[in-house]
Amino acid sequence: MTSIDLENLNLVFRVRQKQRIPFKDFLVHQMFRKSVNPYMEIRALSNINLSIRQGDRLGIVGHNGAGKSTMLKMLAGIYPPTSGERRVQGEISSLFELSLGFEPEATGWENIAYRGFLQGETPKTLKHKLAEIAEFSELGEFLASPVRHYSSGMLVRLAFSVATAIDPEILLVDEVLAAGDLAFQKKARRRMEEMIDRAHLIVMVSHDLEALTKFCNRAIWLDHGQIRMQGPTQDVVEAYTDAMNGAVPMAKAA
Amino acid sequence: MSRYLSAIWKCRYFWLSLVQMDLRNRYRRSVVGMGWSLLNPIAMTTVICLVFPRFMPQIKSVNHYAPMVLVGLCFWNFISSAARLGTKCLIHSERYIRQYPAPMAIYPLRLALGGAFHFLIALAVVLVMRCCLIGFSDLHTFISLVPTVLMIFVLAWSVSLLVGFATAYFPDIEHLADVGLQILFYATPIVYSPSAIQGKLGLLIRLNPLTTFVELLHAPLIHGQFPDASLFATGLLITAGFAGVSMLTVSRFEKKIIFQL
Repeated sequence: MTSIDLENLNLVFRVRQKQRIPFKDFLVHQMFRKSVNPYMEIRALSNINLSIRQGDRLGIVGHNGAGKSTMLKMLAGIYPPTSGERRVQGEISSLFELSLGFEPEATGWENIAYRGFLQGETPKTLKHKLAEIAEFSELGEFLASPVRHYSSGMLVRLAFSVATAIDPEILLVDEVLAAGDLAFQKKARRRMEEMIDRAHLIVMVSHDLEALTKFCNRAIWLDHGQIRMQGPTQDVVEAYTDAMNGAVPMAKAA
Repeated sequence: MSRYLSAIWKCRYFWLSLVQMDLRNRYRRSVVGMGWSLLNPIAMTTVICLVFPRFMPQIKSVNHYAPMVLVGLCFWNFISSAARLGTKCLIHSERYIRQYPAPMAIYPLRLALGGAFHFLIALAVVLVMRCCLIGFSDLHTFISLVPTVLMIFVLAWSVSLLVGFATAYFPDIEHLADVGLQILFYATPIVYSPSAIQGKLGLLIRLNPLTTFVELLHAPLIHGQFPDASLFATGLLITAGFAGVSMLTVSRFEKKIIFQL
């Protein structure tokens, strides 16, 4: 049974006001004198309480900087909660920052293997998927070239093809529906639909409110790191849209 | 700890394929493949063997001195490259760290495994040189190289991990490591025998943890003996110390390191 439970969860980024300090400055200033580059705290997520169960398709809406992507990364285990509880049952597969995670000197074929292995594939399971991944990416003979020669669109296509070849339990998706050119986007959307059908539980971040309404049965609205509203997708999307259009004062939207 | 090791094992196909790629890239760049990267220690050994015996009367036999210098240089190259490249191991892996919550120790492991492969090839060259120059006697003592190499591997992995984490916090660790390694090179018995220097300087050299591993390599390869049990115990203690500090570093900083990248 897959599930995600977040209880009183807070995530605070503790970053230095200026760039990272050299070790010698740390020794001189930090240990013996008052710091000239103190830490500042950025509250990325505040008091999040959320329970997602098997079968849920949860959409996350919110303005830029509201904490949507941070929330996904925290769910994926990349950002550790500063306080509160994060309980996850099930294997997590993530689809975000697709253009990252390539070895530039390695070929497309090799990168398929690296990303596949990182997603939990084995040489045996990957062998059966290789042809399908290559076909879906439409990269043909380019797959034999080092990926440093690829355009950013080609990289996204390759990454999307590998990332969506898995059978996910918990799927975390961040704005990947806009992968590649228009023709590829149509294909990608179909592929996503199949994946959404197969996954036990999905959390999806997108500014494409139409897609969220189509794919998700529940939604949360994040505002400055806090859950401002949660409920059926249609209701949340409407409230969020009204607030963005100024029809409803921001404070009363909840 | 066992859970952490099993998490590392779980993504073995990932880091093993990256090690494979690193080795392929390293050896593909030259016509003579891995021979090219062995050229450096062999050339250094040749020069040292031509020059140093003139100034160091305690070097009585170049036949013994040459394999001693070569094995010292090969060991040094393994450890120093683990430290030098280790400074970047987490920063260069940011693209993976930001996508998958894999154990951070796999990134320095990638370096240590690549270095270990090269070290083993270099060690094979040392064995050939030893047999040619010293003879085939006491070959059974070579079995002691197995635990020694394992300890050196764990040491290299730990060193990479520690400097990798340190550099994520302090960008100048890379330059400090360069300076530290230059000093450490002369404080490690590579071009001289561990017993050649006495007094306070000799004590300083004995306190250098790398000296123990050089002696562990010298015992079978140069002296045709099994290393003393006390030497083995010291090596184990040093390895365990570095591994312990690495594990503490991982348990304390692994989750937070993402905020430094």
